[in-house]
Amino acid sequence: MSQLTINNVRIAGMSACVPSTVEDNLTLPIYKDQNDALKVIASTGIERHHKVDPGTTASDLTVKAVEALLSDMGWQPEEVDCLAYVCTSRDFIAPQTACVLQDRLKLRNDCCVFDLPFGCSGWVYGMSIVGSLMSHGTFKRAILVAAETNTLNRSQLDTAVRPLFGDAATATALAFDPEHARPMNFVYGVDGSGYQAVWAPFGGVRNPVTTEALQQQEVSPGSYRRGVDMIVNGMDVFGFAIKRPPQSLKELIATFNIDVETVDLLLLHQANKFIDEKIRKAIKMPPEKTPYCLEEYGNVTSASIPLTMVTRCREKLSGDDKHCIACGFGVGLAWASMEFYAGNVKVSEVITY
Amino acid sequence: MNIQDFIENFASQFDETELEEFTPETHFKQLDEWSSLTALSIIAMVDDEYDVIIKGNDIINSDTIQDLYDVVERQQK
Repeated sequence: MSQLTINNVRIAGMSACVPSTVEDNLTLPIYKDQNDALKVIASTGIERHHKVDPGTTASDLTVKAVEALLSDMGWQPEEVDCLAYVCTSRDFIAPQTACVLQDRLKLRNDCCVFDLPFGCSGWVYGMSIVGSLMSHGTFKRAILVAAETNTLNRSQLDTAVRPLFGDAATATALAFDPEHARPMNFVYGVDGSGYQAVWAPFGGVRNPVTTEALQQQEVSPGSYRRGVDMIVNGMDVFGFAIKRPPQSLKELIATFNIDVETVDLLLLHQANKFIDEKIRKAIKMPPEKTPYCLEEYGNVTSASIPLTMVTRCREKLSGDDKHCIACGFGVGLAWASMEFYAGNVKVSEVITY
Repeated sequence: MNIQDFIENFASQFDETELEEFTPETHFKQLDEWSSLTALSIIAMVDDEYDVIIKGNDIINSDTIQDLYDVVERQQK
């Protein structure tokens, strides 16, 4: 089993930015009547999501989130040693979006920046990657961005995905701190045989963009998407999500001898309520320790866990250390779980773009 | 596992369709109440009751409840 322990790194601050436009599932034009909409809301728990206006990208939301974070924490841009940008809806095919962000955010020219093109597992993977770099002790301050504009890389005419996915950007500030005696612990998982459960077939180099790949195709009655849009095979994702995340969390608990009773927060990727509740029950975590933000923001892929922390755990995280376990899972198929302690975290108010 | 229990578990994922309508030969995707959400409930039920994760294609390629039962039974072995 691939497992990792990181010492001397703590979460110092968090922020989030969401677009101001809200799309309510109850009034989406894709349903034949409100009963259909109510059924989807009842089973997924997702009532609405925020959606970028044309021309706005995930990096635009990111700039707002990072600026708020730096300002609320009193960090200067030139004090940031590392910035990682977790996102699949990148601004350009080249360069990496993190390079453009270095300039927009006025980070130093000798700052270490890079993209991490993860989906729903991305915040947990990102925490392990940036945390590892910091644990060497020379990077003192880092920012992990987890951002996505799902409404741009998924078809808005695809009735199976439009109600579920939203847009958001989050920023997590990490600090090297030898006084922080609590390790971060990780376990990982991947099953590439399921890569077609969530994927965009066209637009990469294996299947380049063709005029045909830009045509809307009817994929089920009344539902359309293009070859370049993200496909979400709901049944396969569901089968994966009720099996792997509980296994992964149980692996984490067993590997690091976690006493589940002492856990204050279970932070799950906000897939949908049906899936997440199955995961919660599988590891016997009470509902009051399992916050959700999907009713308001939908599934925002890698931003889901940090957005939940910013919008639902602000008070808890600003107090003394809270014992947290988290699990991210999705496209890849990839998943990862982590244990960490977070306290005295400077959590910014959610910003709207 | 036996087909009668499977049918009862299968039927309990439906709210409005009467139990009598479910037989091994029922073409379940033609039931009025069938939807993509029912499919997810079936996947969850099969996981809970039989510890098997069926794929989307298993449901797509099954016409009758018996067809799906056979898929689950094969995977249990």
